[in-house]
Amino acid sequence: MEYIARAAALLGAGICMGIGALGPGVGEGFVAGKACEGIARSPENASLITRTMLVGQAVSESTGIYSLVVALLLIFST
Amino acid sequence: MPAKKGGLKRIFIVVFFLEVIILIISGGLNRQLQIGFEEGRFFIRNVIHEYNLQEKITEEFQPDRYLQEKGEKAEIYGSEKLYTLFSKIFSVNNAVSAFHLLRILFIVNLAMLGLAWLIRRQIFKRPSKPQVLIEMLYTFFEDFVRDTLGKKNLRFTPYIVTLFLFIWTCNMIGLIPIPGMMEPTRNLNVPLGLGFMAVTLVHITAIKHKGLINWFKGFAEPLAFLAPLNIVGELSKAISISFRLFGNILGGAIIMLVVSSLVKFVMLPIGLNLFFGLFVGTIQAFVFTMLALTYIGVEIAE
Amino acid sequence: MEITREIIQIAAYLGAGISVSIASVTSGIGVGYIAGEASFAMMRQPRAGDQLFRNMFISQAVTETGGIFSLVISLLLLFGGFDVVEGGWYRFAAMLAAGFAIGFGSIGPVLGSGYTGGQACKAIGRMPKFSNAILGNMLIGQALAQTSSIFALVIALLLLYSTPLQPASASWGQVILKTLSLLAAGISIGLGTMGPGTGIGYVAGRASEMIGRHPAERPNIMRTMFLGAAVSESTAIYSLVISFLLLFAIH
Repeated sequence: MEYIARAAALLGAGICMGIGALGPGVGEGFVAGKACEGIARSPENASLITRTMLVGQAVSESTGIYSLVVALLLIFST
Repeated sequence: MPAKKGGLKRIFIVVFFLEVIILIISGGLNRQLQIGFEEGRFFIRNVIHEYNLQEKITEEFQPDRYLQEKGEKAEIYGSEKLYTLFSKIFSVNNAVSAFHLLRILFIVNLAMLGLAWLIRRQIFKRPSKPQVLIEMLYTFFEDFVRDTLGKKNLRFTPYIVTLFLFIWTCNMIGLIPIPGMMEPTRNLNVPLGLGFMAVTLVHITAIKHKGLINWFKGFAEPLAFLAPLNIVGELSKAISISFRLFGNILGGAIIMLVVSSLVKFVMLPIGLNLFFGLFVGTIQAFVFTMLALTYIGVEIAE
Repeated sequence: MEITREIIQIAAYLGAGISVSIASVTSGIGVGYIAGEASFAMMRQPRAGDQLFRNMFISQAVTETGGIFSLVISLLLLFGGFDVVEGGWYRFAAMLAAGFAIGFGSIGPVLGSGYTGGQACKAIGRMPKFSNAILGNMLIGQALAQTSSIFALVIALLLLYSTPLQPASASWGQVILKTLSLLAAGISIGLGTMGPGTGIGYVAGRASEMIGRHPAERPNIMRTMFLGAAVSESTAIYSLVISFLLLFAIH
């Protein structure tokens, strides 16, 4: 029985990371694409735009980090 | 990127041929392919028929588990005393991998100290080529620091350049196809240490800049009860920059191992090596440095 | 349930079908988008026809890479000789997971590369003078987007080649544990590359189009593209790490 519980935890880890990577990936890509556009239109603000882009990506990635942490917990703590 | 168009092409060609030569000399070719003369005829043939990928990966990435599974006598450089010393410090499960990691880190540090000494020695003479290259790199990063942090905070430039050079050298070690030359960044401990160091520096800068009380207030920024989320966010900065570096380098290493053992052919892994070693290695080192710089910039700008 | 060779063959056929059919959905969309944008650009700028044709051809070839990867895996599943009875349920799960990984894993990268190619065609139609710069940027962006499909390919190859045979003494619980961990490795990398692949493709597409509009800002735009793409890739890297753990850390 404990084998089955552990197996379910592993399957859960795989699904968690797989689906959890969907949203942040698209979102960060959107941020970076718009940043490219902004730098092309107003190059004098390049450093400000780059900084905003990196901070925004870091924030939108936090859900990806949560998935990673949950997956690692599921793998190592059961 | 500072390199010219023709220069980049030349670097690729030089690295390609160097890799072929080192592969032939180090015997990486002879392990799978036998090349030589027999009865006056030139021949190339495949020697190994059975190839256990799982075992190979365990040997490369978990040397201690490999030794335990095989039941071989564990020793480092043929001496058991050294092994017992390392297993006392790092426990039995990590002794060999810790030794490999420390050895490579020692080589990287020696290389960087040697570079610094070489450049320092010749600094006031006619600028030599390496000096010009390093100066180009330094001014390249100095521009970034000036753009992000302002003219007053140029003192961060040495840290940023050192971080980039260290990570880049670590990533480039994987290009040398000698057994035992592994990238230190492939071990999670190295990127995690660098990441936590960067985040700690960010917070020290924040305390210096804003004062201790304002720094504490910064955690309760929109609303007081969101403080746990803010703290988790700070931790996730360190985790995200270190896992990005670690995963890219580890993925590149495993891809190289799998492809080179599956096709048993020399040319394709070298092309992949150029992509995952040179291109991805350089980009990841650059991204790590830029993110560390940006995190500092956010704290200073507020 | 006693395992027979027919049951393992079921997994091979299912995996091959999943991998090719799902990958070809977005291959079609991506390649069609490139052709559409190229045709539209030709209507605007008929004199740039040769450059547009060349760009369309190259970008379609790169976009097809993900589809070709899944074709390779499905051919290996069908004719690679993995369907031996000694493999047991381990082999069953590994073959199914390999098909799943590369099939779903090439959705995102192919869609992203298609978007990049289409935007590059649009940009060349606007500024045929800078077609070489746009082509170079497009190729780098598509290579970045296809990196995640290479990750999926490697996990699929590892699943096929490094899965051990099922030991005769394995208990029922051990078999379930190993089987589900193999399946989870395939699901993790398969679904995990969808988002980053699409996102990086969007970044590279916007960068290509903006180089066409403001060619003087090329170094700045390319730098931002590199940074943004490398950061967007991180979730695919997390999936890769979890897959490696599920493959090698479970005994």
